[in-house]
Amino acid sequence: MTPTHFVCRWLKLLVTLATLGTATVQAELLVPIGYAGDPAASGWLGAQQGHREAQIQGDFLGQRYTLTPRLSEVSAIVAAVPPAALQALARAHPGVAVLNITVTDDAIRTACQPNLLHVIPSQKMLADARAQWQKAHPDSPAEAKAWHPAFEKYAASQLNKRYTEATGKPMDDAAWAGWAAVKMVSDLVAREQTADPAALLEALRHKLAFDGQKGSDLSFRDNGQLRQPLLLVDKGKLLGEAPVRGVAAVEDLDSLGLVPCAGQP
Amino acid sequence: MKSIFALLLLAASEAHAAPRVFVTNEEGNDVSVIDTEQNKVIATIPVGKRPRGIGVAPDGKEIYVAISGDNAIAVIDPGTLKLVRTFNSGEDPETFAVHPNGNLYISNEENAKASVFNPKTGELVAEIKVGLEPEGVAISPDGSHAIVTSESTNMLHLIAIPAHKTVANILVGARPRAASFSRDGKTAYATSEISGEVKKVDVATGKIIGRVPLADDKAKPKDILPSRDGKRLFVAGGRANRVFVLDEASLAIQHEIPVGNRVWGLALNAAGTRLYTTDGASAQVSVIDTVANKVVATVPVGKMPWGIAIVE
Repeated sequence: MTPTHFVCRWLKLLVTLATLGTATVQAELLVPIGYAGDPAASGWLGAQQGHREAQIQGDFLGQRYTLTPRLSEVSAIVAAVPPAALQALARAHPGVAVLNITVTDDAIRTACQPNLLHVIPSQKMLADARAQWQKAHPDSPAEAKAWHPAFEKYAASQLNKRYTEATGKPMDDAAWAGWAAVKMVSDLVAREQTADPAALLEALRHKLAFDGQKGSDLSFRDNGQLRQPLLLVDKGKLLGEAPVRGVAAVEDLDSLGLVPCAGQP
Repeated sequence: MKSIFALLLLAASEAHAAPRVFVTNEEGNDVSVIDTEQNKVIATIPVGKRPRGIGVAPDGKEIYVAISGDNAIAVIDPGTLKLVRTFNSGEDPETFAVHPNGNLYISNEENAKASVFNPKTGELVAEIKVGLEPEGVAISPDGSHAIVTSESTNMLHLIAIPAHKTVANILVGARPRAASFSRDGKTAYATSEISGEVKKVDVATGKIIGRVPLADDKAKPKDILPSRDGKRLFVAGGRANRVFVLDEASLAIQHEIPVGNRVWGLALNAAGTRLYTTDGASAQVSVIDTVANKVVATVPVGKMPWGIAIVE
């Protein structure tokens, strides 16, 4: 028996023992999630909130999440970086989902990089939400947002309360997107029982039905943009939601800023 | 003469024994009491801020109401229809289930825990760690298990009683809201609001053994109850403004019964012949004949009716 054989046998025995023990002690699935961006910005605070909530679920189901500035050997990357850096980041980590939480540029959506996903809404989505609102309420000016700290419906009040208690700050768009990015990854880790980046990218693109605490199940369009309801706000006051009832069907999230990939009809 | 007197007494006691339906009005801060013979509100009882979950003591002598805004449980005497006391129940009690031993299993929505209270003494018996935004609570008929749903962690927590240990954590569709057990306690059913579906769970193994989407993407289902014979399931369809009747074995949709807007709560009478629904946005209760599968009466109640219970 060579030393290698001997070691192999012992390993086999150890594996057998470990397997026998799984009924009581399951090995934790380690899930590192990379974060690129300014750790002083609200996107980071939101991602940390998502991390805390992911771990509450992980404690029940046997996953251990970490949120790390490391970008290699991670299950997914949350990014709060400028447009050019964002595209470069996605190119540098092929096969790993890069979840954009701050850049709203339309051109990045039409570029359709296969691993670049946009949790934050695009300019076109925000413009369509405003246009729908103006059509229904011509005398009421409004801007469109992904989130609002006074939003209460669909358990939004619970999320706002948790975030503000943890950070002392109101939850803004980037904070919501950071929270959502981490939490949607953890949702799929739990459902697919994997921390593999390629499997998670595939699941994010094709299997996501995420509860963003905005009343609908959220999924990604083919161009990598997250479908989502938007909020109409004027002078900090929450006015309503888009799709705007009476102008579009409330469930028709693609009435907001649906754009094809460049070079496609 | 004596027998006529006895008959009159019997008639009087029967009239008194007509089942009463108690409805929490989330935005009305009160409870509406419906006489089910006349299908009319006979009393409105102010209880406190944001009443939601409601349940009846095993002996039928007390009614409990979770007053979320006051962090308390209100206790109503079903005979006098008066509020008799309140006790502290931990932060933001959303709803609860009553154990056969009388204890209340309460979901504390903002604390990621469930708490067990003795309503006679107001004493906290146990606290159980669950996922984020716990909501629905169900207890098996033999009292051996509870299920608590956590809406923002997408799980059903199966809890053994009296150990109060979590024995299974079952991942379901987005935003699980309500759960119930089959009459034999072997199966559990749960609704998921955002994924718009019903899941069926084998309690012994903690495995999902059936799933049905409610087809209508507006459906945001809430309460779910088995029929008295266990062969059908009733599901409050939320925004679909319908009650779905499912075949228990196949989960196939047998009937869709139109009711008022935003139907959330369900209660079934002991005979299983009448199903009462809270139609939140319509401020009414619909009365469904479960044989004909149609609404036979609607009863206007308070503002945003949420929870519902029957005392027979």
